[in-house]
Amino acid sequence: MFDLPEIPYLLTLLVVLPLIGAIITLFMGNERAKYAKYTAATMSGITLILTFFLLLAKNLSVYSENYAWIESAGLKMSYILQIDGLSILMVFLTALLVFLVTIFSSHQEDKPNYFFALLLAMEVGLMGVYMSADYFLFYIMWEVTLIPMYFMISWFGGPRRHYAAIKFFIYTHVASLVMLIGIFAIAIQAAAGGVVDFSFAAVAIGASAFSSTFQIFVFGLLFFGFAVKMPIVPFHTWLPDAHTEAPTAGSVLLAAVMLKMGSYGIIRVCLEVLPDGAVWWQPAMVVIAIVAILYGAYACIAQKDLKKMVAFSSISHMGMVLLGIACLSEVGVEFAIFLMFAHGLITAVLFMTCGLAHDLFETREIPLLGGLAGKVPIYAAFMMFGFMASLGLPGLVGFWGEFGIIFAFYEYSFSINMIWLIIFCLMSLMLTAGYYLWAMQRSLFGKLTDKIETAHLRDINKSEAFALVIVCGLIALFGLWPDLALGYISDYTSSLVTLGVVI
Amino acid sequence: MNIDPTIISNIFGDFTPIAPMIIMILGALIMPAIYLSSKRRNLVTGAMLAVIIISIIINFVLLVGEYTGTYAELFTYDAFSGLMILLFQTVVFLVALVSAASTETTRLYYGAYSSLLLAATTGMMFVATAGDLLTIFLGVELVSISSYALVAMKRNDPRAAEAAVKYVIIGGISTALTIYGISMLYGVTGTTNIADIATVLSTDGFSWAFGIAMITIIAGYGFKIAAVPFHMWAPDVYEGAATPVSLFLATGSKKMGLVVFFKIFLVLFVAGSAVASFATVEMQYVFAIIAAITMTVGNVVAIAQPNIKRMLAYSSIAQAGYILIVMAVMSEYALTGGLFHMFTHVFMKGGAFLIVGALISVGIGEKISDYRGLAKRAPFVAFAMLLFLFSLAGIPPLAGFTSKFILFSSAIYGDGGVMTQWIWLAFIAILNSAISLYYYARVVKAMYIEKGETTDKIKIPNAFAVAIAICVVFVIILGIYPQLILDFCSNAAAALFA
Repeated sequence: MFDLPEIPYLLTLLVVLPLIGAIITLFMGNERAKYAKYTAATMSGITLILTFFLLLAKNLSVYSENYAWIESAGLKMSYILQIDGLSILMVFLTALLVFLVTIFSSHQEDKPNYFFALLLAMEVGLMGVYMSADYFLFYIMWEVTLIPMYFMISWFGGPRRHYAAIKFFIYTHVASLVMLIGIFAIAIQAAAGGVVDFSFAAVAIGASAFSSTFQIFVFGLLFFGFAVKMPIVPFHTWLPDAHTEAPTAGSVLLAAVMLKMGSYGIIRVCLEVLPDGAVWWQPAMVVIAIVAILYGAYACIAQKDLKKMVAFSSISHMGMVLLGIACLSEVGVEFAIFLMFAHGLITAVLFMTCGLAHDLFETREIPLLGGLAGKVPIYAAFMMFGFMASLGLPGLVGFWGEFGIIFAFYEYSFSINMIWLIIFCLMSLMLTAGYYLWAMQRSLFGKLTDKIETAHLRDINKSEAFALVIVCGLIALFGLWPDLALGYISDYTSSLVTLGVVI
Repeated sequence: MNIDPTIISNIFGDFTPIAPMIIMILGALIMPAIYLSSKRRNLVTGAMLAVIIISIIINFVLLVGEYTGTYAELFTYDAFSGLMILLFQTVVFLVALVSAASTETTRLYYGAYSSLLLAATTGMMFVATAGDLLTIFLGVELVSISSYALVAMKRNDPRAAEAAVKYVIIGGISTALTIYGISMLYGVTGTTNIADIATVLSTDGFSWAFGIAMITIIAGYGFKIAAVPFHMWAPDVYEGAATPVSLFLATGSKKMGLVVFFKIFLVLFVAGSAVASFATVEMQYVFAIIAAITMTVGNVVAIAQPNIKRMLAYSSIAQAGYILIVMAVMSEYALTGGLFHMFTHVFMKGGAFLIVGALISVGIGEKISDYRGLAKRAPFVAFAMLLFLFSLAGIPPLAGFTSKFILFSSAIYGDGGVMTQWIWLAFIAILNSAISLYYYARVVKAMYIEKGETTDKIKIPNAFAVAIAICVVFVIILGIYPQLILDFCSNAAAALFA
């Protein structure tokens, strides 16, 4: 393709630029506050442009940075950033969505300097999680994402924001602590008496000597840590609250990028380091995934709040991602990663439109809405597009993820002679189509509602439309040309096959 | 760094191992004279700081120059005692810096206050160098008696009087138990030198008298570090005393108790290797259970505290519980983590107490509800408090996270990289960390999210601002660049185990 120059310290720049942006924005108080959005948009825009250098690079492995950080008392922690086929899409998604939600929220009136600083601070943590190749750094970045989100919810959220924020914080913090024990265990076991090196590479070398009992035990710890973040039923209860109360920008980042940290961790740590543990846990993962898919879908039907419905649909879709991973086959993991990316784009549209419902109609309650398509046609078009993409309409990006995962799951259920398991997947597709179409029918079509004031409704404004158009364009682009993303992913999954992690 | 300790030993000669203490004790003697002749609190504070800084410089040169020496076979200066002396000096520096600015000390007799503060620190420093049960005992008594007076000095406050009485009585019981245990040990072994006791015991083996002596010593010094079930006095005393004194007790006096534990039990059970053949595992279990109960009780009770000083007191109890993991694991790596955590604890807990003290000085109460809307009234103070509390809860990349990371991992990973049997202790510690986040987040919520009655700006005294800034800098630096102190910690641990 194009021949782009190699940029030195590119990966560090991707972490540092948002950090600098966050600090500058934070101090733009009082009368300068209205310029905060320009700083935020510039910094996140530059970060986004830099990710294109990664996307178009011929060889990703040249972008790797490694500096010793702490070497003392038998410990070795390093600052290592790396990028590969798994992380590159997540990095791109993060950069893209932070930029777009900054544009989308440019009408933020209340404390805009804090608002945009928090968005950029979140980008720092997310970029760090997806690029770090040292468990110590990984954990730090993992926790760094928590605090901005806590403040994002508790400063800018809805009426029950305090409860939702603290629940989100403590729930996910406990999970990360359990994950931390798992990290200790693998790093120490891999060191086998020598210096405990927390880098991914050192652990990968030591991992070949792990016994299966150890793998099974530690897989449990790590899986719990990641599953709460995904989230997987029954550890999902923080998510609907957090989403309902978070401001739109927070919801978008939470659903589109932060939840992916969970599935990213499962693939990156659980699968790569503990393959025997994965095989032992495979049936459990399949059951948990199916429960999550169906529970999420059923819960969606019962929801009255648009945002809460989308939150439960996220649970259902992340269950689908887990199902793909649980197949432990190349196709399964490949499309699980694809669905992570696809779901990131789709939920962005869903949360942007459903979040807008509150601004436009002053309510998100489905029973209070109705017949709005005629009043706000552009808004209705975007919402329909999002719903269609999410229910897996062929030609849009969501279709490929679900198609590939169901294919992989068919193979798996065939191999264990339990082909009837596939029924659950098909049920979930029907339920998903059902709740989306029903929600659409009740809120957008039919008789115009008389429960809210509809005389002076505004349709979406330019900056909101700009963000939505770009995401929708990408949904269509990757839907028609999935190979664009699959190219990166298959490089990574074929390396998993070489490792013997998946078949 | 290349620093030659002979600069110091040329001046002090044979007294070099106790040189930092000599300066301190001279300071303690001249403070009342300075106060009497000038009646100016700021002048006394300046003199106090000068004394402390000279003492810090001497100690720093000795520590970095890797000096080792013994004075009169009683006091040994090595990497371990040097590091602990530095810790106590840091604490007293922070306390001295804010003493004159705090309104809580205006009615104290300032000459005596400053003298007692320096005397207590000297006691702690002597404990750090002592290798003999009697010198440890004398050092601890010097600290105890000075701190009874420091607590009681806030004369017009009935809470302080109650706290002081409680402290004296509990302190008396603790002293009695300790001296009883020491005399039994002397009866069994015929010596009070810890290393010699280890040698005698390795030939004589276990006896019931020895067991009882161990229990009474644990109980006696358990009061000092406020380990559960010997913790009841701590919240009352910290609440009743003037905040700089609470700071001194929570970060200094408690660390001294831990140093005593390290000195007596680690030397007896691990370093004197032959003794390790008996009773070590039993002792480890005793300490593991004390550690688990201490951290759990501290954290759970802290949740219900409406008074921020009491909350910090209970959180101190919990932190002592974390450090007691060292006593359960008894490995060099664990001690490294423990020492590192003691240092980070000085800055994060010290910083939190400093903020409480600063706010009391400008008329804000001690209740968590009094902190509502603080982020608007004093943005930098609120942000510093947020850093300290998140650091205490162990949120990266702050100092508290890094030190807990090393400390807790030591319960999983023993010397030589083997898995230890204390992984359950690491689980309890980590769950406790999660519980603690709840009550720390409550304060953050009050400061940042709830609305206060007024939005008038607050200006805290400059001395407090400087001390808080020092703590903030270290909480951040030790979090991202722990090697600043970590190498000293691992040298110190190696020195104690040598």
